[in-house]
Formats: sequence, C-alpha cells, structure tokens
Amino acid sequence: MDYGKLVEAVAIQKRSVLSDKLVDLILASKNDDKMPSQLANTMLNHWQKDVLNTQTGLTVLLEAAVLLEPEKTLAALTELQLTNIAEQLKEALVKT
Amino acid sequence: MVKFGIEFVPREPYWKITYYVIQAEKGGFTNLWVTDHFNNRNVYVTLTAAALYTTKITFGPGVTNPYMVNPVFTAQAVATLNELAPSRVVLGIGAGDKTTLDCVGVEWKTPIVAVQESVDVFRRMTNGENVVYDGEVFKIAGAKFLFKPRGKIPVYIGAQGPKMLALAGKIGDGVLINACHPKDVEYAVNCVKEGVKEANKRFDEVDVAAYTSFSVHEDLKKSTKAAVPVVAYIVAGSPGQLLERHGIDLKKAEEIRDALKANDWGRAFGAVAPEMIEVFSVCGTPDTCVERIAQLLKSGISQFVVGSPIGPNVREAINLVSEKIIPHFQT
Repeated sequence: MDYGKLVEAVAIQKRSVLSDKLVDLILASKNDDKMPSQLANTMLNHWQKDVLNTQTGLTVLLEAAVLLEPEKTLAALTELQLTNIAEQLKEALVKT
Repeated sequence: MVKFGIEFVPREPYWKITYYVIQAEKGGFTNLWVTDHFNNRNVYVTLTAAALYTTKITFGPGVTNPYMVNPVFTAQAVATLNELAPSRVVLGIGAGDKTTLDCVGVEWKTPIVAVQESVDVFRRMTNGENVVYDGEVFKIAGAKFLFKPRGKIPVYIGAQGPKMLALAGKIGDGVLINACHPKDVEYAVNCVKEGVKEANKRFDEVDVAAYTSFSVHEDLKKSTKAAVPVVAYIVAGSPGQLLERHGIDLKKAEEIRDALKANDWGRAFGAVAPEMIEVFSVCGTPDTCVERIAQLLKSGISQFVVGSPIGPNVREAINLVSEKIIPHFQT
C-alpha cells in the first residue's frame, strides 16, 4: 500500500491533529508485536526531529497505525472527515 | 532549582518507552530512571535505545541490585553506556526487593553490606582498576576491564530504611528516597544528613531525590484510579510500623496482601482506602500535584521523580507535568 500517496491528500491544516490521533492510537495499542522494529525506529527518528506531522512523518504513522489497529485507524480518519482516504484504505485492506 | 526525573518500567516495548523518553526530554525532564526487574524487559537495552534518541537527559537504572546482578557486570554495562552518552549516565543501585528475589531463588541477606561493597566494586571497576576484593558478600580474585572506562560515574543509592538512607548519604553521589508523604521524606532526608555528616560532606553535594508513585490527570477521579494498583502493591509490601505511623488499618493492609497473593485484583484494589493513596502516592490534578511537590521540597530534596503509573494516559500525563507542573518550579 502506498501510504505516502494517501497522506498527500491530507490537508495541511489537518496534519497535526491526524498525527496526534495516530500517535495516541499507536501508543495505546496492545498489538505491540505487530510493530516492525525498523518502522518503530523510523517513527522515533521523526519524533526526535519533531516532524511526525509532516508528509514523511504521517506516512510512517499511518503505516504503523494500520499495522497495529486497522479498524481504529479507519475510524480516526472518518472522524476527521478524511473519508476519501478512509475509503481508499478500506479498499486496499480488503484486497490484502 | 529542583530537577524533575521520570521513571519507566520496561514492561512495554522499547519503542513506546523511547517515545515517552523523547517527549519527557523535550518537556523539561532532566533525569530518566528505568527499573530493573527480571520479569520485565532488560534495563540496559531499554536505556541504550533511550540514549540513542536523546541528547540531554541524564539516565541510569533506577534501581538495579547486587543480588541479581554482580557489580562487575553492572560496572561493565554502565561504563559501556557511558561511552554511548558520555556524562549523561548514572548508576542507581539498591537492595532489591525480597519478593522478586524469592521468585528466582536468590537469597536476600545483609543488604547494607551488599550495597556498600557493590558500590565500592563498581567505582573501582569504572576507575579502570584491577579489582581484588575480599568482602563479606563479594569475593573477586582479580577483575579488570580490557577497555578504558570514561571517567567517574555518579552513584545513586535507592533507600527506604534509616540505615540504608544514612549509608546513601555517606557514600552516594545521590539518594533515591522511596517515599511520597512529606513526613516520610523529611524523616528520610534527616537520615541522609546523618550519613553526609559522617562523611564530612556538604548536604548539597548529594542529589537527594523523592522517588514517588505519581499520577496526574485533569480529572481527580481518573488520576486516583490510576494510582490504586501501584498503591495496593506498596501497602502490601510496607512494614507494619510504617503503616501504623500513618494510621493505616493493618487489617485492611493484610486484606490487600492476601488478595494480591491470590491474584484477586478486584478485592485488592477495592480495599485501597483514600488515606493509603494520600500516603503512598502523589496524585491528583496538576494543581494538587504542584501543592504536594512544594510540600516535599521543603524537606530539602533536589530532585522529584515522577514514578509509575505517571497517569491514566502516560502521554497526556507527561504533557501535563511539562506544561503545568515543571514551569511552576522554574521561577
């Protein structure tokens, strides 16, 4: 799945709030074992540099959130009225 | 100015703890302590990850013990960490807890001597010496690193009883006082002062930390609820003398102890009374916590450690401490 492409469609003014929601979702998840260490390290690098709300930061967060909590990620996107992205994601998830 | 430390228990994976550590460093915390228990993830691996993603925060095990881990190994691990993050590493060491040691069949004996000797061995090893040691607890035939350790590493001693507190004041560069109530912290600081006096040091040469169980949330009920499980364990492990000093019903404490042994969490946590939470935790809204910390500071502590559970939501709690508590003590 091309998470970068999905994130491109997120309006700049919604990036911070989406980043915040995804971080909450990832940290609260009990599915820790589904997090690849390489992806976790990339997330930490972005957090250290304070760029989790940028295009690349959100790409990492979205990938992690989908791996750990696919249903909750869809719900978060819908809640933020990012319906298009949620639908594309849902479609891609059904295919995999 | 008081320093703020934060404690993490590596029950969670390294990446979650490292996320919180980065957040804590950004938010003004100066010290990181990671607990060392065999049933959680390894303390040194956790600290290594934290070291790689931070640049300022001082960190160390909070605390290791000389029973599970030989001080020669502790010296090796901490000296190696000190290469990774020079001048940011400290050692936190204490006597460990009997319950955990019993689980692995390690005998808990002569804690004061064991801690004293292990600090001695640690310092000599990290000073690059060839250590030959004929102690009461440790016998070392000849141990020397094949690498050159990088300078002096401060040693903090975790202490609760009067003798250990005095020892900590005497030989430690810092003390981690396991207490939350102003009366207990004041008593502990006085014990530390006795040791400091015996060693002909100045009190301000020793970093004295109140290592608390802490919980903050804008909603008082939520902060209290999060503190209950931690307080239940503290009450269960506290000597009767300490409980009586605070007017805590010994029968209730016994009930909690029995329920925990039987893994009956509902009964154990349900028996935790408000006065127990008051004595064994610093919890509440940010304003309440500021008040409680200000009370503790009067006893002369120089570091306040925000320990488990931190809050019902750790990320939110770290933000609250950074934004609403730490600034209060920076003026």
